[in-house]
Amino acid sequence: MSFFIDHPKARWMLPVAAIGVIGATALTVTQTANADSGLQARTAAQLLADVRSANVSSLSGTVVQTSDLGLPEIPGLGSSGRPGLASSSLTSLISGTHTWRVWLGGPTRQRLALIGSNGESDVIHNGMDVWLWSSADKTAVHHKLSADQVRAGSADKRLPSGLPSGVPSTLPSGAPRTPDEAARAVLGLMGKDTTVTTSGTASVAGRSAYELVLTPNDKTTLVGSVRIAIDSQEHVPLRVQVFSTKLANPAFEVAFTAVDFAQPDARQFAFTPPAGTTVTESGDLTTPKAGASADPAPVKTSADPSAKVQGAPTIVGSGWSTVVVAPYTLPSPQNGGAGGSAADSAAQLGGILKALPTTSGAWGSGHVLQGTLFSLVLTNDGRVAIGAVPPTQLYSALAAK
Amino acid sequence: MSAAESVLTDGPQRVAGSDGVPLSRRLSTRLLRSELRLIAGRRRNQMGLLVLAAVPVFIAVAVRISSPREGRGPDFLSSITSNGLFVPIAALSVELGLFLPLAIAMLAGDAVAGEANLGTLRYLLTVPVGRTRLLVTKYVSLLIGAVWGVAVVVLAGAIAGIALFGTGPMLTLSGTEISFGSAVWRVVLVSLYIAVGLAALGAVGLFISTLTEQPLAATVALMIFTILSWIADSVPQISWLHPWLLVDQWMAFGDLLRDPPFWDNIAQGLRVDLAYVVVFWLLAWARFAGKDITS
Repeated sequence: MSFFIDHPKARWMLPVAAIGVIGATALTVTQTANADSGLQARTAAQLLADVRSANVSSLSGTVVQTSDLGLPEIPGLGSSGRPGLASSSLTSLISGTHTWRVWLGGPTRQRLALIGSNGESDVIHNGMDVWLWSSADKTAVHHKLSADQVRAGSADKRLPSGLPSGVPSTLPSGAPRTPDEAARAVLGLMGKDTTVTTSGTASVAGRSAYELVLTPNDKTTLVGSVRIAIDSQEHVPLRVQVFSTKLANPAFEVAFTAVDFAQPDARQFAFTPPAGTTVTESGDLTTPKAGASADPAPVKTSADPSAKVQGAPTIVGSGWSTVVVAPYTLPSPQNGGAGGSAADSAAQLGGILKALPTTSGAWGSGHVLQGTLFSLVLTNDGRVAIGAVPPTQLYSALAAK
Repeated sequence: MSAAESVLTDGPQRVAGSDGVPLSRRLSTRLLRSELRLIAGRRRNQMGLLVLAAVPVFIAVAVRISSPREGRGPDFLSSITSNGLFVPIAALSVELGLFLPLAIAMLAGDAVAGEANLGTLRYLLTVPVGRTRLLVTKYVSLLIGAVWGVAVVVLAGAIAGIALFGTGPMLTLSGTEISFGSAVWRVVLVSLYIAVGLAALGAVGLFISTLTEQPLAATVALMIFTILSWIADSVPQISWLHPWLLVDQWMAFGDLLRDPPFWDNIAQGLRVDLAYVVVFWLLAWARFAGKDITS
């Protein structure tokens, strides 16, 4: 103590040291530990085979998805009404940062909980029942699966994605909900025009993982590379990062921040609508709508949830630089039908789309949206072109039609 | 400890302590008890507690007499009718924005700046107590003040809520129902989490309080700090700063009402709280121990 009496100014060293220690600790924690974890080297081909044969039937964990797609800020879509607060609405997955928890107990039991600020949306699949729960408006939607669908689900040996196919939900069809789902979408897209390499090991959610790097050979695409971190033991993708050619940081990332491969408690999959809840029975499920699986890239579809595609889309090009051209009509506030808020957001979206910069060329004229991973052109004659390419490619695709 | 102090500590009950301060006195809670008596005795603090307690009662009565209607009020408001324990939670979420930080700001303003302003600080230091010990006592009393304030809100809310809405099962955010007993535990956890956040704000307040001799200036400065933090937290363009803001995870107490509770944000909030406590208490110590006490 006498040191501080002789040197009163030296007292300030203590808080400064505390700030230094805290800052350094925070930095080392957030920095992805890329140290060599002593894993055996595996080739890209071996890793691809690992991912395709992964067989994980139980899991619980937390997934964080971040996206920087270069979309205009859409109030009420990206975030909830209040700024700074994450929304728990399932339709808001397309921009910003989102956290959800996944539980997986075999092929017939899954639960996905989207964590919002003081709200939560759950999708619970247990046997023949699928429940959608929303804490914000205290509603539950009940779907009854047919025996065929249950069997189809159990036949699928892969890591289920949280929702059995065919459930008409408010989930955006494009946004992958687990790293596994994102990895599958990317691997499905991958063709001969992709260079597959490994970049050693990474640490994701406290587990050591191999990293697979997919680089498109096609130089016209906006996708710079895709990195998939694969768990070294369970061979499940733990993280998928999509890099844009425009950004240094991932434009889209979905990753586990915590994961446990033990069988979760059966209680997680039990859902009985609590008293005071509005329960909607959806009736029998019909055939699945054309969804994410039909689209060439997961991020593309999320760009344009409002433009209702009514005609058959035309595919121009192939691989990473695929361009989809489709007729569209803007949803008008009158035909919203579902309710006031839906009509409101449709009108809002229509306004936002109209506010996009205009462009014209040999193909006509319209509005253009330049994202970090995709571009979108809405022509004035009622066509929409979208692809993971710069707008010039879209213009030539539109002109070719 | 200063030289003058060790002379003054010579007394009949002196135990051979390493730096001359008897062990019994170092562990004595006399200073703390007198500090708490002072805090509890101030009329403005009693009025403040009354306001804190009035909010949950007001919420409970308003929900009771109005017919159930659709609409989005503050968080958890719509859940009150099913379980009375949502009254304290709704009240906390309402008061966490302004009233509870204001209560801490009042106490923090009085803690050092108030004593300096009244001219009692120098008498306190001749008692004799070391400045470090005085600062620890002041901080512990702020901590107790934070728990006190939250407890008043929660108890008033729980009593009003249970009286008006009963003790049904609690609906978690995940859509499951938990028994009243475990609901009580959830509310206790929520209260503790909020009290820790307020105690961290108290450390900031203590530091500001050592900078000035005007208690009002310290109170206003701490409120400005709080409100600026809320504003910064709501600007998405500076999202890199958000994890470092004290208030960033304050509202995460809702995660304790999930089934099972979601700990990630709570843990992050507690880490930030702890960092603020350490840094700002040390800043206050560096400032106070070297400060000239002129009044």
